[in-house]
Amino acid sequence: MSAPLRERLQLGLLLGPASIFLAIFFLVPLGIMVVTSFLAPGLYGGVEWEFYPHNFGRILGFADPAFEEFDPVYLEIFLRSMRIAAMTVLATLLVCYPAAFCISMMSQWWKNFCLFLIALPFFTSLIVRLFVWVLILRQSGPINDVLLSLGLIERPLEMIYTEGAIILGLVYIFVPFMFMPVYASVEKLDWSLVRASQDLGAGPIRTFMRVILPLTAPGIIGGSVIVFIPALGNFVVPAILGGAKVMMLGNLIEQQFLSARNWPFGSALAMLVMSVMLIVMMGFVLISGRRKGRGA
Amino acid sequence: MRLFSNLLRPGLIFYTMLFFAFIYLPLALITVYSFNANPVDMMTWTGFTTEWYWQVLGFRTTVSETSMYIESTGQLIAALRNSLIIAGSTTLIATILGTALALALYRYDFYGARLYRVLMFMPMLVPDIVLGIALLIFFVNAGISLGIATIIIGQCTFLIAYVFIVVSSRLAGMDRSLEHASADLGANEWTTLRKVVLPQLMPGVAGGALLAFIISMDDLVITYFISGTDVTTLPVFIFGMLRRGIKPEINAIAVMMLAFSFIVASLGLYLRSRQK
Repeated sequence: MSAPLRERLQLGLLLGPASIFLAIFFLVPLGIMVVTSFLAPGLYGGVEWEFYPHNFGRILGFADPAFEEFDPVYLEIFLRSMRIAAMTVLATLLVCYPAAFCISMMSQWWKNFCLFLIALPFFTSLIVRLFVWVLILRQSGPINDVLLSLGLIERPLEMIYTEGAIILGLVYIFVPFMFMPVYASVEKLDWSLVRASQDLGAGPIRTFMRVILPLTAPGIIGGSVIVFIPALGNFVVPAILGGAKVMMLGNLIEQQFLSARNWPFGSALAMLVMSVMLIVMMGFVLISGRRKGRGA
Repeated sequence: MRLFSNLLRPGLIFYTMLFFAFIYLPLALITVYSFNANPVDMMTWTGFTTEWYWQVLGFRTTVSETSMYIESTGQLIAALRNSLIIAGSTTLIATILGTALALALYRYDFYGARLYRVLMFMPMLVPDIVLGIALLIFFVNAGISLGIATIIIGQCTFLIAYVFIVVSSRLAGMDRSLEHASADLGANEWTTLRKVVLPQLMPGVAGGALLAFIISMDDLVITYFISGTDVTTLPVFIFGMLRRGIKPEINAIAVMMLAFSFIVASLGLYLRSRQK
C-alpha cells in the first residue's frame, strides 16, 4: 500500500465513525425539525405535508386565518423569556464580578481553593440544586418563617412561582458559567495600567469605566453569551420554580410536544430559540473579531 | 484614594463571603433538614430522625399515614440502574469517538479540518431542549421505539463534542518532538501512537471520560424527551417526583446524591492537582 493511501485510510478510520454518527443522529434530526416547523399540524397529532408558514405566524403575528385570530400570548412568552434571560445575565454578572476581583487578589492556595468551591456545584446534580430552592421559597419556607416571626409581614410572601424565583434559580445554576470567563480576564488585568490611570488623576469611577471595565470586557461578554443561551431555552427551572403561572419558551415547547401534540408549532418555537442563539453567536464572533483586530 | 481602597477591600471580602454563602448555604440547609422528623412540612423542625434515609434505602417499608407514598424504593433503584447503564455506555462510546476525532484533527491536515473544528462546538451550543425535540421527531419518524438505546444515542451526540474538546486541548499542549524522536529511532506510526502519543494523552482521555460520565448521569432535558414511557433515569425520576409534589424522601435522596458527587468531584480534582 502506498503511503498516502494508507494515511487516508487511517484518517478515514479515525474520522469516519464519529462523522457518520453525528451526521445521522445530530444533523439529520435538526434538519427534520427545520422541515417540520414549516409543515401543517395534522388533526390527530401528526403532520400534513404542505407548506405552512403559520406556525411562525402564530408567534409573530400572522396566524392561519382559517383557524384562529392572532393571539399575542406566544409573543408575550417569547419576550418574557428574553427578559428573564437578560435579567439572569445581569444578575449573575453582578454576583460574580466583585467576587472575581476579590479572589484574584488572594494567595495561590486560596485562589485554587475558591475556584474549586465554585466549580464543585457544577459537578452536582442540577435537579437537586433546584429542589433546594423549592423548599426555601415555599410559603412555609425558612424565609417566610423568619419574616413572619419578626413581624415584618403578616401573610407569607408568594416567592415561588414568580419570575423572580425563575431568575434566582437560573442565577444559582449558572454562577460557575459566568464566574470562570470573568475570573480569567480579571486575573489577567494589568494593575500597572490602573495605577497609571490613578497617577494621571482619574478618580476611582473614571478609572473603572475607562480602564478596568474595557480590559475585563472579553470575560464579561464571553460569560454573558454562555449564560444567555442556555437561560433562554431553559425548561427545567421554569417547570420547577415557575409552575404553571410563569411560562417560558422551554415549557411551551414541552407542552406542544408532550401534551398538545402540535409538533410543527413546537418545532417553530424551537427554531425561534435556535435563531436567537445564532444571532447572539454571530454578534459574539463579530465583537471578539473586532477586538482582536484592534489588538485589544 | 487611600480611604477609598481601605473601604473597598473589606467590602469586597464581605461580598465574596456572601457569594459563597449564596452557593453553599442552601445546600447546608437541605442537609440539616433532611434529618427533620416532620413528614408534612419539611422546613418546620420537629425533631431529629434518620427515617427518610432508611425508607429511601429500602430498609423500612412501613408507610406512615401522613405521607402519600407513591414511589417505591424499587423504582428508585431501577432509575439509578438505568442511569448507570446509560452513563457507562455513553462514556465508552463518546470517549472512543471523541478521542478518534481529536486525534484525526491533530495528526492530519486535510480539507475541511477547520469546518470540523467549528462544527464540533455545535452540539454544545444548541440548546438542549432543541436537540431533545429534534431527536424525538427523528426517532418517532424513523420508527425507533424510545428506550435505553435512544437515550444512549441522544446523549452521545453532545458528549462526543465534550470529549473532543477536552482531548484536543490536551493534544494542543503536547510535545511533538517526542513523536519525531520516536520516528527517528525507527518506530513505525502505530508503535509511536501506542507507545508515545497515547500514554501522554491518557490524562486528557480520562478527564474527558469523567466529564462525559458526570454530564450523562445528570442529563435531564434530552433524556426527558427521548426516554419514552417505560424507562426513567435518576434525574428524570426526581423531576417527576418534584412535579407531583415534594416529600421528605426526596430530601434524603438529594443529600445522598450531593454527598456522592462532592466526594467524586473532590477526588477527581485532587488527583488532577497532584499530577501537575
